[in-house]
Amino acid sequence: MAKSFGWAGKVLQVDLSSERVNKVQTADYRPEEFIGGLGLNAEIFWELGCPKVDAFDPGNPLIISAGPLTGTYGPFGRGEVCAISPQCYPDELFTYSGFGGMFPAEMKHAGYDGIVILGKAEQPVYLSIHDEDVEIKDADDLWGVETFEAQKTLMTDEPEASVLVIGPAGENLSRIAVILNETKFAAGQGGFGGVMGSKNLKAIAVRGTGVVAVAKPDEVLELTRTIMEESKKGDVLRLFFRTPYMAPQETKDVFARRYFKKHYGCYGCPLQCHSVHYIPGIGLSGVSCANWLWAPKFSIDPKEIWEANVLSQRLGINTFEGIIGLPFLLALSLEAGILTRKEIEKDIGLPTPKWLGGTATNHEFLTVLLHKIANGESPYAEGAARFSEYFGKKLVSGEKLVDLYGELYTAHGYAFHHVDNLGSALHWATDTRDPIDSCHDYKNTLAPKEQFQAVMEHFGLPPYDNYQIVDLSKTVYEGAERVTAWVQDNQCLKNSLPVCEFWSMITSFYNPPEMDLRVFESRLLSAVTGLDIAVDKIAKAGERIWNLRRAITVKRENRTRENDTLNEPYFKKAITCYAGSATGLVNGPIDKAQFEALKDRYYTLRGWDVNTGWPTRTKLEELGLKNVADELASLGKLP
Amino acid sequence: MVEVPKSGVLFHDVNMCAGCGVCEVMCSLYHEGVVGPALARSHIVRHPFAAKHDHDVCQQCSSPSCYFACPLKDKALCVDGTTGTTYISEDECTGCGICIDACPFDPRRIKINAEKNVAFKCDLCKGRDGGPICVEYCPFQALRLISKDKRR
Repeated sequence: MAKSFGWAGKVLQVDLSSERVNKVQTADYRPEEFIGGLGLNAEIFWELGCPKVDAFDPGNPLIISAGPLTGTYGPFGRGEVCAISPQCYPDELFTYSGFGGMFPAEMKHAGYDGIVILGKAEQPVYLSIHDEDVEIKDADDLWGVETFEAQKTLMTDEPEASVLVIGPAGENLSRIAVILNETKFAAGQGGFGGVMGSKNLKAIAVRGTGVVAVAKPDEVLELTRTIMEESKKGDVLRLFFRTPYMAPQETKDVFARRYFKKHYGCYGCPLQCHSVHYIPGIGLSGVSCANWLWAPKFSIDPKEIWEANVLSQRLGINTFEGIIGLPFLLALSLEAGILTRKEIEKDIGLPTPKWLGGTATNHEFLTVLLHKIANGESPYAEGAARFSEYFGKKLVSGEKLVDLYGELYTAHGYAFHHVDNLGSALHWATDTRDPIDSCHDYKNTLAPKEQFQAVMEHFGLPPYDNYQIVDLSKTVYEGAERVTAWVQDNQCLKNSLPVCEFWSMITSFYNPPEMDLRVFESRLLSAVTGLDIAVDKIAKAGERIWNLRRAITVKRENRTRENDTLNEPYFKKAITCYAGSATGLVNGPIDKAQFEALKDRYYTLRGWDVNTGWPTRTKLEELGLKNVADELASLGKLP
Repeated sequence: MVEVPKSGVLFHDVNMCAGCGVCEVMCSLYHEGVVGPALARSHIVRHPFAAKHDHDVCQQCSSPSCYFACPLKDKALCVDGTTGTTYISEDECTGCGICIDACPFDPRRIKINAEKNVAFKCDLCKGRDGGPICVEYCPFQALRLISKDKRR
């Protein structure tokens, strides 16, 4: 076998039912075409036949991959988890979640680009990987143990191992359970912790003593200088996320001066955009962006803010739902008169703190809520969507709860994320999850408008004003589809190389023409892998991955044009977006006819069929996906 | 006994170090043309639940046991007459490992590159403009080069 550069060279397949371990050549999955991470995972899932099983069925493959750049210097330390997601609502869809930390690089040091977990173990187990040695080991003593403790225990046996672990939430099949590495790095969206739990798999501990070979070290070395220089722009971001950024200055100061320990981030990355804080009695943990959003809506007390974060991480709960989504839903329900305090206490079974009109402490509220999620006690553990549906049916006044949920969470994700423009609304409608992890590109609020506009012009995209919904009377959605398609392809690429969102947001780091990220990525990927991967080829890879993901959802989930929509409230009224507190950003109403016309233009631009929203043979073959076209044709799903 | 000139040394500030591993990645890339701690001359031992990370690297002893133990002293294991830095000449080293046994530190600060069958260790990026690459790339200035004059 030829020496592999960039890619570690193998994909590990472990069937927990038969206890069979198999190692496949990464080259078998055409990595030049699908890159790694999200792309590689989608290709693996397609090759597995896109099984039509439930998320918690043993037949749901849990796929974890890094990319060819992972392990090299720069913001490339992330990995990508893919599986059929129990969190997607109303239907479970094949989707993805990225995570940072040490695990992805360590996995490559052990020789693997990806790990595919199939089947289900009879008893709780963990997977121990030490380079070539792969063992399924008994995890009876770890079952029920919180995430930090479980990792510490495994690291006693193998001090330098990196561990992916689930907490009680994942074990008890919560749909909002995460897979965690160290204190902070979580594959959060998707509820993949529950998938791991359904397989009786407590953890994956990996230790690698190998290295990643690079084809042209001198060229890579030269490019690291650009990465170092560009990364210095990240200092602003790093300092911003160091404290609860929405909270009053006083609260921020306490964190910065008293509790801050140091910065924190992924392996080999100069940004180190996370931070570590320690509060006696509550503990030490990493923290970043969304973990802080308990403040200021619910509390500005540092200890309460910190407890919300640390308890979620220890129990293995997605902070976006556990300490943001669900509490918000309750608070807004109370404000809107949809739920009463009495109902929240009696029927829903939660102590009510001040912001819910009661006298309980936030500590009491958090302890009950988060432990009920972790114990798998329905309906909290099911996430905000199913929570709304359950109480919507159960309580008379709760019927409106589903509508309120529809406002808070649009299409496939948290509404705050697609704040103020049509491009992102279309993206949300056509994706399978909240895609914000790799799509901050839409938000010109993060950069001066001139800079944003310069980027748009550089890539031949329409002026920003054409697709934002600031003026509600504006019904000209011209060009929004071009922005959406561009960001989607870019998103697929980012999650496959991988390149971290925090480094590659056009609003923060692109300064064309001096710095064109795609040109840079093409040079770096070519130098690392030794393959000649030109700019147009790299852009094509993004489009190929998006089309493959579309083919998967068409094949497995019967996706059609009809499913590409937003929740109804978005077409009916203006909705104020919330993040910690009301942001003042108003979303909608979106004109439905205009939105449908926008979809027409989007499908046409994509080379898909306008009536069904299905990819065409011409497009799929152009992208080298003839096998995909043939398969869809045999199912009668090729227009 | 041969007089060994005093050398500069790397200083690791444990309070600043984020454990990011940039030093390992850059070291292995610069010296070996690969990336990974296994072939880096310095090594971070991470303690993520304490947020304190150890850094193991050659301490450039003023009386270097490795140098005196080397059967090919001054050919394989050498001391730079000007800077006082001990370094291994890859072309001459036979990979016998005697220097590793002689290293007084635990873990040992000299490792074997199995593929090349030579010993390797930090030589403060001897000959590199701008000094040690790990110092230059450390995002938090947690690694610093203490010059031989300032070294205690």
